[in-house]
Amino acid sequence: MGGFFRFLIRRRWVLAGFLLGGIILLMPPPAGLTAQGVKALAIAAVAILFFVTEPLPLPTVAILIGVFEVLLGITGPTEVSRSFISDSLLFILGSLMIAETIVKQKLDKRLALFILRITGPRVERIVIGLITVSALIASLIGEHTVVAMMMPVGMTLIASAGPEPRQLKNLSSLILLSIAYGAIAAGVGSPSGGARNAIVMSYWRQLFHLNVSYLRWMEYLYPMVLLQIPIVAFVLLKTFRPEVVDLTHSIDQLRVRVAQEGTMKARDNWTVVIFLITVVLWITVSDQIGLGTTAMIGVALYLISGIARWEDYSRGINWGIIVIYAGAISLGIAMRDTGAAGWVAQILLQWVEPLGLHGGIGLLFFIAVLTMSLATVMSSGATVGLVAPITLHMADLSGTSIVAAGLVTAAASAFTYMTTMGSPACGMVYSSGQLRRGDFLKAGWKMNMASLGLLLLMAFAYWSLLTFPVGVS
Amino acid sequence: MKILMCTDGQPFAEEAIRFGAKFAHQLDADVTVLYVRARESGGDSIYLTTARKKMTEWNLDIPGIEYLKRAKQILTEAGLASPLHETETGVRKTFRESTEGGVELHLIGRRDERVRLKLREGESAEEILTEAGLGRYDLILTGSRGHQGFASYFVGSTALRIAEFAPCSVLIAKNIRKGRNFLMCTDGSGSAEKAEIFGAQIAQVLKARVTILSVAEEASVDAAKDQLRRAEMILAQMGIQAKVKVRVGRPSEVIIDEAKDHDIVVMGASGGSAVRRFFLGSVPLKVIEYGACPVLLVRDKPVTKRRASARAGR
Repeated sequence: MGGFFRFLIRRRWVLAGFLLGGIILLMPPPAGLTAQGVKALAIAAVAILFFVTEPLPLPTVAILIGVFEVLLGITGPTEVSRSFISDSLLFILGSLMIAETIVKQKLDKRLALFILRITGPRVERIVIGLITVSALIASLIGEHTVVAMMMPVGMTLIASAGPEPRQLKNLSSLILLSIAYGAIAAGVGSPSGGARNAIVMSYWRQLFHLNVSYLRWMEYLYPMVLLQIPIVAFVLLKTFRPEVVDLTHSIDQLRVRVAQEGTMKARDNWTVVIFLITVVLWITVSDQIGLGTTAMIGVALYLISGIARWEDYSRGINWGIIVIYAGAISLGIAMRDTGAAGWVAQILLQWVEPLGLHGGIGLLFFIAVLTMSLATVMSSGATVGLVAPITLHMADLSGTSIVAAGLVTAAASAFTYMTTMGSPACGMVYSSGQLRRGDFLKAGWKMNMASLGLLLLMAFAYWSLLTFPVGVS
Repeated sequence: MKILMCTDGQPFAEEAIRFGAKFAHQLDADVTVLYVRARESGGDSIYLTTARKKMTEWNLDIPGIEYLKRAKQILTEAGLASPLHETETGVRKTFRESTEGGVELHLIGRRDERVRLKLREGESAEEILTEAGLGRYDLILTGSRGHQGFASYFVGSTALRIAEFAPCSVLIAKNIRKGRNFLMCTDGSGSAEKAEIFGAQIAQVLKARVTILSVAEEASVDAAKDQLRRAEMILAQMGIQAKVKVRVGRPSEVIIDEAKDHDIVVMGASGGSAVRRFFLGSVPLKVIEYGACPVLLVRDKPVTKRRASARAGR
């Protein structure tokens, strides 16, 4: 009995969620929404509550989405399982596997030495080097990989920078946030840069029969990665004035550590080669064979060559996140099929019409702010999964480019500089214990503003100039 | 005996470990020190694990280890462990994901495998209870901030939840004093008897003075005196001469009043159903919340409980 009370205390948000769902289901359907739509909306509302409050392990929420889609009679079991898995999901899975293989190698130490050889001991130059390398890698593989590899480099630099690391608060913030922000800012660069990008591609294909290739995505958003590198450096160096400006001693320490590893092994080389082959295949042939299949070619090469073992994948892959994305996409499709997504899109358009945000660049601004706010309080992948069907419909209804709306949704969901839970990158550097939550806020809001402004500028001035112009006025 | 000591790096938690180390050493106990770090987001734990592994590869400490190292230092000073040198061969610093979603870091010295240091991530009371369930401990020791006027209403809820839901005995150490005056509370029940035996073991090694208290209603003073005689006998068998005391009144109020003049209160986890406790409140929990000294709440481990009920149902 005592155990039962303990259980109730622990699961209070679950009860609240089911109560909320029940209330929505019992309400009469509002004008323009079918009974099926209300059901989809109820699931979405409960899912958002659960994603924000996290009373259950998040994959559980995704599983419940599938279960309730069938139990409430929205779709049949075959359709639900079909909506759970797709080429995009394989692509996310394959990218995570490739990332895991790369993290497992000892590339981080070589990378560290490479950066420092170019930058020298001055702090500003090191910061620019860390941001650039983080950004360039994170534009092709998930940000968590980059942060896992670069964080120890940053920590080693901090640990040997002065007599008492605790006194180097600004330096700690500067170096660790360079890594995290560099990675976050670059996640928009290519479809493999973040699962949220793959989710948007999946919606384009499944909801609107639009095919946007890997290369085309890069044409739209890769320039943004390059432009953000100096912005991140500027914002961080202005916000956190480092206590020391010369890190010669730290670099010597790092050299000693790397020297212990010996020279680069053939294994490390092959890891990089296979990764580059995969990227080239993504760019060249993924149009025909699919991004997911291409990713799996890379994974197969790693497994055949013996660089990766299956055990690494079964232990090191965040299988939960795969389930979360699958559930979110499934719910997105259900919201489209039942008309709930269109209905919500219509309502939102009516709300923003007096503000003049119901079309064109105004609508893109609204989409960006909406996505960014939600991504700040819950996982960015889940945000895109739930929001993109609505934002794409808003674009469709208002005659704005669906591609532009999708790109803005994916990119804005990555702007999670302000909190520690919005993105794995921030969570990871926060877990070092060297940063306070306030540090993220202090520099994060500036980054949010800058990235948002840059994104809208790209949409307004640059996307219309491309081979597949996306005109936004 | 297996003891789980909890730390959060706060002075009062470390005071509690210092207090526990004294009798743990004498009892020849196995000690595990646990630090619980707040988890960021459930969905990202695997990424954090990856980051941690990389940090360990680079020989960098993850946060919280400093608290565990300080706890180890305290145990070493009490003679429970030998000094830990990072460079000493045989010092293992392994990092692994443990069962039930915890993250464990073992920092074990070569010559003192009896002290383990563990780190878990999550909500502190939940993780301590999970660890207690997994490790089959005999006693959980946790510090509490103690009374600070109105604030006592809010602080210490972790300690209270541990006391209420732990599968084993719990020692809530607050306002630790130098003296060694034990107050053992009896109501003649089986759980009180267990408490006397467990408490006597600790009283013995600490060479404490013991007072046995029975709280009675007006009409049942004689029965209370009987209970005291039985308890006195149990203690006498273990070589402890105890004073006895009967008082009339509400148990929780009387015990809280008596606690002012003693240095540790020993009680059995109260009987009665969860529903009764929910509406009337539990006496031990009230003593833990409002009493002025540490409380040792003695509870059977689940295994022995099953055996006991098998015996009772014979």
